[in-house]
Amino acid sequence: MKKYFRVFAAIFKASAISDLEYRLNFIVKIGTDLIWYGTQVAIFEVLFHHTRSISGWTIESTRVFMAVLFLVDALWMMLFSESLERMSDKVRRGDLDLLLVKPISSQFMMSVQKMSPAYVANVFLILGWLIWALNQLPDFSAWSRLPLLIITIPCALIITYALRFFFSATALIFTRAENITYVWHQVYRLATRPDTIYPPWLRYTVLTFLPLGFVGSVPARLILETPDTVLLSACVFVAVVCLYASHRYWNFALRFYSSASS
Amino acid sequence: MTIWSAIITSTGQESFGGFPRDSYITYALWAAFFGRVGANWMYEFRMIEEIESGSINSILVRPISFYEYYLSQFMGYKLATTLFSFAVPIVATLFIDSPTIHSRLPLAVAVQILYLILVHTMSFTVATLSFFLTRVHGFTVAKNIALTLLTGELFPLDLVPEPFRSWILWLPFSNSVFVPVGYLTGRLGIEDVARGILSILIGLAFFGAIAAASWRAGCRRYSGTGA
Repeated sequence: MKKYFRVFAAIFKASAISDLEYRLNFIVKIGTDLIWYGTQVAIFEVLFHHTRSISGWTIESTRVFMAVLFLVDALWMMLFSESLERMSDKVRRGDLDLLLVKPISSQFMMSVQKMSPAYVANVFLILGWLIWALNQLPDFSAWSRLPLLIITIPCALIITYALRFFFSATALIFTRAENITYVWHQVYRLATRPDTIYPPWLRYTVLTFLPLGFVGSVPARLILETPDTVLLSACVFVAVVCLYASHRYWNFALRFYSSASS
Repeated sequence: MTIWSAIITSTGQESFGGFPRDSYITYALWAAFFGRVGANWMYEFRMIEEIESGSINSILVRPISFYEYYLSQFMGYKLATTLFSFAVPIVATLFIDSPTIHSRLPLAVAVQILYLILVHTMSFTVATLSFFLTRVHGFTVAKNIALTLLTGELFPLDLVPEPFRSWILWLPFSNSVFVPVGYLTGRLGIEDVARGILSILIGLAFFGAIAAASWRAGCRRYSGTGA
């Protein structure tokens, strides 16, 4: 485990140096995500301009939901996004060969080979937004449940990672799978809305087979509503199952890989 | 479509922002297709790659400008995708109880075709930044994300409170989704379409001037190498 932390820290440092080489690109990366956050915020701000509540969510509670969602997204963008976006290229060019012979998990190396430390700035901005959103709530009880985020945010990150990894690892089976990224972005949109707004069948889906409801909705509900140990346990359980399943899927998909390098 | 159903169901009202449930469902259906046609990812990335890699050299010596070369490809691709992809909402709105006014479809599509020229001009402008900067893909992503909001793809722009609504509607971007879909679904009238066309023309003049200046400055800076 110590070895993995050392490798992780070394890659993070190397990625930071690499990012700072192109400073304008560094700023554009941060700005692009801020624009995405802005569009998501605008959707709900505009909708709540015309109604007080949507499926039990008020504008104040929705702001907390968005803060949690953005926090998971910023961590995801910082740690895994770039590596998994490039997976299809690496498989096609045969770069995976080099990772397979290293004395470390190939899934780990494939997932963190290139990080984007630029998003650290976004993490701090979102934490500011979260504090502001919690202050807007009519009662202050949510503050006492805030430590739950220490458990739920890593779980949400693991679930996002595992689901995205399923899509990316498909490249091993089909070799060319760039369009799978587009499919992922469409599927991920289910995570960007509170789960209670969905019809029962879709809500059931996002809380079971495709657990995107655990990315933003469940962590937000855990701090907004009265403590629910079943929901908290489910969050941890789903994260563990997803991570394990992603590892099994990686090993399965590797059977289809034939070296593309000379 | 799901979010609009949930909103109207949860509010317990027949309408939202002055329009009934069917209007929003139909808007969401059409907006998904108009939004997809009105976005430019692939050709913008290709233009950037051409400049970054230097393969633009082979286009510069052709008897057609770089702008026209990619405009012809982009418009050809978009016209073909429009023709096929719009069959889905057309058929869907014929079978469901929808406020779509099908006789307005030709003008709605014409507005978007005009808007596509503006889309290409903006993409061309972004691509010319490759003459000056090493990595410009981030600009494409930022621009296209911002456009999903400004075009009305995410929600009808008439829900936006004033004064933002007036500002957004005077920008040419609403002609990608909100103006054609609003006209098609009866939210907007012919005068809104006329205003939309005017804003596209102003936008074309504005972005055209920037693109031309950026292209000239970029070409002065660029030195093509290779066989």
